Formats: sequence, structure tokens, C-alpha cells
Amino acid sequence: MRQVPALPIVGSFAERLLVDDLPDLQPAQRREVVAFIAHRVDSLPSFTRFGVLAIGTVFRMLVAVPGGWLGAKLLMKLPLPFVGEYPRLMRSLGFAYVWEHWPTTTPTGALA
Amino acid sequence: MSLDADILIIGSGAGGATTATVLAEAGLDVLIVEEGAWVEQGSVVPFSLDQMDQQYRSGGVTVALGMPSIAYTEGRCAGGGTEVNSGLYWRPPGELLERWRHDFRIADFDPDDLLSIADEVETAINVRTVPGPHSAPSEVLRSGAAALGWQHSEVPRWMTYPHGDDATKGERQSMTRTYLPRAMKAGARLVTGRRIDRLVIDGGRATEAIASLPDGSTERITFRHVFVCGGAIQSPALLQRSGVKGHIGRTLAVHPTVKLAARFADELNVPDDVPVHQVKEFAPHLSFGGSASNPGLVALSLLDQWPTFRRAVTDWPRMSVYYAAITSQGRGRVMSVPRMKDPIVTYRLTHADRELLRSGLARLALLMLEAGAEEVFPSFRGAPSVKNRRDVATMQHAFSATKATVMTVHLCSTVPMGEVAERCGADSFGRVHGYRNIHVNDASLLPTAPGVNPQASVMAFAIRNARHFVATGGSRA
Ligand SMILES: Cc1cc2nc3c(=O)[nH]c(=O)nc-3n(C[C@H](O)[C@H](O)[C@H](O)COP(=O)(O)OP(=O)(O)OC[C@H]3O[C@@H](n4cnc5c(N)ncnc54)[C@H](O)[C@@H]3O)c2cc1C
Repeated sequence: MRQVPALPIVGSFAERLLVDDLPDLQPAQRREVVAFIAHRVDSLPSFTRFGVLAIGTVFRMLVAVPGGWLGAKLLMKLPLPFVGEYPRLMRSLGFAYVWEHWPTTTPTGALA
Repeated sequence: MSLDADILIIGSGAGGATTATVLAEAGLDVLIVEEGAWVEQGSVVPFSLDQMDQQYRSGGVTVALGMPSIAYTEGRCAGGGTEVNSGLYWRPPGELLERWRHDFRIADFDPDDLLSIADEVETAINVRTVPGPHSAPSEVLRSGAAALGWQHSEVPRWMTYPHGDDATKGERQSMTRTYLPRAMKAGARLVTGRRIDRLVIDGGRATEAIASLPDGSTERITFRHVFVCGGAIQSPALLQRSGVKGHIGRTLAVHPTVKLAARFADELNVPDDVPVHQVKEFAPHLSFGGSASNPGLVALSLLDQWPTFRRAVTDWPRMSVYYAAITSQGRGRVMSVPRMKDPIVTYRLTHADRELLRSGLARLALLMLEAGAEEVFPSFRGAPSVKNRRDVATMQHAFSATKATVMTVHLCSTVPMGEVAERCGADSFGRVHGYRNIHVNDASLLPTAPGVNPQASVMAFAIRNARHFVATGGSRA
């Protein structure tokens, strides 16, 4: 069975999260990190991938509407089962990539 | 295409490689089928994302769902978990073996025999302590425990040190360096890059295995006996996909861990190795040790409380990551779902587990302070940083397992061995109950999580069971 690629679903949210967490990360770096995150989501075990993409669709829709980012941030804070794990997954993949590839990155994402 | 062998071994990790060696050296015709690739040690940086891609299942991103979910990792390459792990060697404790024998009614089992197999394993994989000084992150564990009067020790590893006595430059004596070459020398064949999708079973006997290749084609493998050694997640999943009934996949046992990062005055970070000391003062319930701490992993340990902990990330050369691991009373499940390639894995921590994680993290923070940490950053949402003993109490109070990053690398007990029908998926030598020629011989067999790093237990049991198979000629098939 052919897989739906993750990038169109997780990409915009992952990018927005990185802008928030690491505002000084260069756009080219950010694109590289987002591509890595999507690649990793593509290789998740089938059930987890299905769940991640389902939750990712909700977040993608929120990010797409004006003011939706505030809604997304609210959703991230709610103690809902598994929903909070989605941004955590995006962040952990992203941070692991950033500091492994550019270890002198500052806390705001600038290259030292 | 099709393949044929007297004995098919699925998986080439700690269980599969040792099983293959015993059977091939006894003159049997052995075929090992491994889903991952053969990756030469040294060709990837340990604990890097590249290693995750090449040698771990799903890039190392696998999770047992629960509240909280527990992230776990499995090796997927020739040699399985033994290629990627920390190499820390612990014999199974004697009293635990006695308990397993009694509680699970493991027949013809003498713990002393198993420990003498452990002696052989130690020689075969060169278990030893580091020849020179310990790394600075390891010294932290030693000195912190010593200051508190807590029991601690250097854990020996399966390593050689061909480049002098630098503790961080050892070469792991994993299965691709030890048992797999031995098995192949004795005539075993190893094929990599093939995943066994299912076994075809007819009247209590497996007759063939269906393998899939990366190009999407399939291959049929016929055999007289099959040894399923895919690890504690994949073995029960494969058995379930094949329609095997019984106590399979219902009692996943793990050692859940919580982590913290500690910052010191001087540089100490070792990006590509782990500390060799462990603190066992509260064992078997609770143990402390050190994790890999490359800059990416330090950043990960800070991310749960990023708004306040982010300031520390540039200090990673002065930081190292440590864990508190518990012997959990909780259990998990591995469930195959029709038409899904991978199983669903769940795990439920008990109330006692959660409390143990809480006290474990607090004690670990205390140990860090005693070892001279300037500041400690626990990995849970809402965590305060810890600079003194008063902060430890505040942190302990604020902790909740559901807010924490809980992880494990020790997965066991999904096909427990023994003769207690309602608790055991396999008999006292790993043959699946109710099936004549299907055997399990990996971490799935361990009746419970052992409370120590499990690879030695996995190997010793696998060798014992394979020898029994040879001695009895696989007579029950
Ligand atoms: C990061 C990490 C660190 C660890 N550190 C330590 C340590 O310091 N000390 C210690 O004692 N233990 C440690 N462990 C645990 C130890 O590695 C495992 O307990 C041990 O490897 C389990 O052996 P196994 O044979 O059950 O499975 P594995 O060694 O995982 O081998 C299973 C193999 O089967 C293959 N496979 C699975 N399904 C299929 C299929 N359907 N078809 C074909 N092939 C298949 C897999 O690709 C894999 O190679 C660690 C584990 C990890 C992941």
C-alpha cells in the first residue's frame, strides 16, 4: 500500500513551531530540519504514523487559518491524551537535528 | 525465489546469533534471516542520527502508547541491539533466576548451569573493565555515589581496547564481531535485508516462512524447525501475524527510565560514549546510570521545559545526561493488527512505578549535586532547575510521570518461558506451547524484566535452549 507523504501534513506546523522555538534559525536551515522531521515521520511504525498524521492534520488546519496558531498553542497545552505528544515529537526530532548538525547553535537558533 | 534450511533463525541479535552458533557448530544446516543490513562498526558514529537511520527500527522513533507513552528503541541490523547498545554487562542475579524457576516452573533449570554459560559468554565477547581512567561523566556517578555512601560500581563491558587505554575508544564485541562470524565459520548462512512477514502453520507445525524484500518481492523459506529471535516486540508480533495462539505479547516488561541533564563547572561531555558506572544502592527497584550525551541529546533532555532551560543548551560541553531506571510492576502489550505492518505496543505504569520514578529522579538529582553539579535540568514539563537540596524537594513535588519523558531500551517477557500455562507462551526451553517446531529464543523469553541490563541473560538462556535442542535432536517436531 502506498503511503501518503508526511511533509505536506506535518511541514507547516513543524516550521511554525521552529519559528517560535528557534526564531533565529536561518530559513534554509529550517527547511532542512523540516525535511528531516517529515522523513522521520515517514519511517514511523504504521500505527504510530497513522496517529501522528491524524493529529497532524488537525494542527495543519489550525496553522492554515488566520489566528490559528494561537488555537494550536492552546491545544498543545491541553492535557489531552497523545495530542501533546505531537508537538513534542516534532520538537525532539527538530532539536536533535539542529544540535547534532550545528552544535554551536544558540538558544534562539542563531549560529554562534 | 525460495530458500531451504534445516533450521531457520529469524533475527541475528543477542538471541539469534548465539542460537545460530550453537546449532551450526553442532553440524545443523542453519539459515539466519535478518531484516536489517550488515553495518560495519566504525562506519557510523555511535548515538548519531545517521546510526538511528541505519541501525535502528523506524529511525529509533518507536513508542509504547500509554499515559505517559514510553519511547523505546530496537536495533534493526545484523547483530540487532548488540550493535547499537552500551555494552554494559550484568549477569542475571542468582536469586532472580531462582524466582523465575519457581514462579514460572521452568523445568530442568539449574541457575548454576546458566551462570556457567555466562562464564563462557564473558570469554567469547571479552567482558572487561576499562583499562585506563574512567571518563569524566562516569566519574560523576562514582563520586556522587561515594559522597552519599551509596553502592556503586564500574560495570564491565564487552569491549576490546586496541587503541590504548582510553575508556572512550573501545571496540564493542557485538554479534557481528563474535558469534555471527563463528556461526558462519561453522556453515551457517546469513541473509540480510529480508523481513519475515509470517509463518505458514498447518496442524501445529510451521511449514514455511514468507519473507519480503525491499523491492516488494516475496520469498518462501522452508525448514524443519524455526527459531524466532526478532526481539521482544517483533517476535510476538510475527507469531500473532502467523495466527499463533497462546500467551503471546501480553506481558511486555521494560525498565522505564527518566532523565536529567547536569551542568558542571568544567567540560566533561563525551558525545559518543556512555559512562560505565552504575549506582545500585536501591537495586533491583531503582538504578542510576549515564546516557549518551551528544549535543543533540543534551538539547533533547532540555526540551520539556524549553522556555526556561534553553539558556543551558550552549553549555553542552559542560553537561552530561543521566537516567534513573526502575524495575516496573506495570506491563504492556504487543498487538498485531490485520493489514498493518507493525504492531501496536502499549504500556501501563502502575502507581508504584510512578512514585518510584519520582523518588528516582529526586535521588539522582541529589547525587548530581553531591558530584559537584552547578545546576540540574530534569526532563519533565514544568520542571524547576535544581541547584541545591531544597530545590530537590521542590522538583520531587512538581514531578509527575505523565509530564515526563519516559524511555526504555530494555524490552522483555512477551513470550515468557515455563510450564505455567496461563503465564507462559513457551515451554521451559523456548518451544511455543502447542506448536511442534516453533521456538522463541530471545529477550521475549525472560519471565520478567531482570532489573539489570538484560543482554547477558538473553544470551545465556538462548545458548542453554539451543544446546537442549541439539541434545534432544529437536525430537518433539
Ligand atoms: C540503545 C540500546 C542500549 C542498550 N544497552 C544495553 C546494555 O548496555 N547492556 C545490555 O545488557 N543490554 C542493552 N540493551 C538491550 C540489549 O541490546 C537487548 O536486550 C538484546 O539485544 C535483545 O536481544 P534479542 O535477540 O532479543 O533482540 P535483538 O538484539 O534486538 O535482535 C533482534 C533482531 O531481529 C531482527 N528482526 C526482527 N523481526 C524480524 C523479522 N520479522 N524478520 C527478520 N528479522 C527480524 C531485528 O532486525 C534485529 O536485528 C540495549 C538496547 C538498546 C536498543
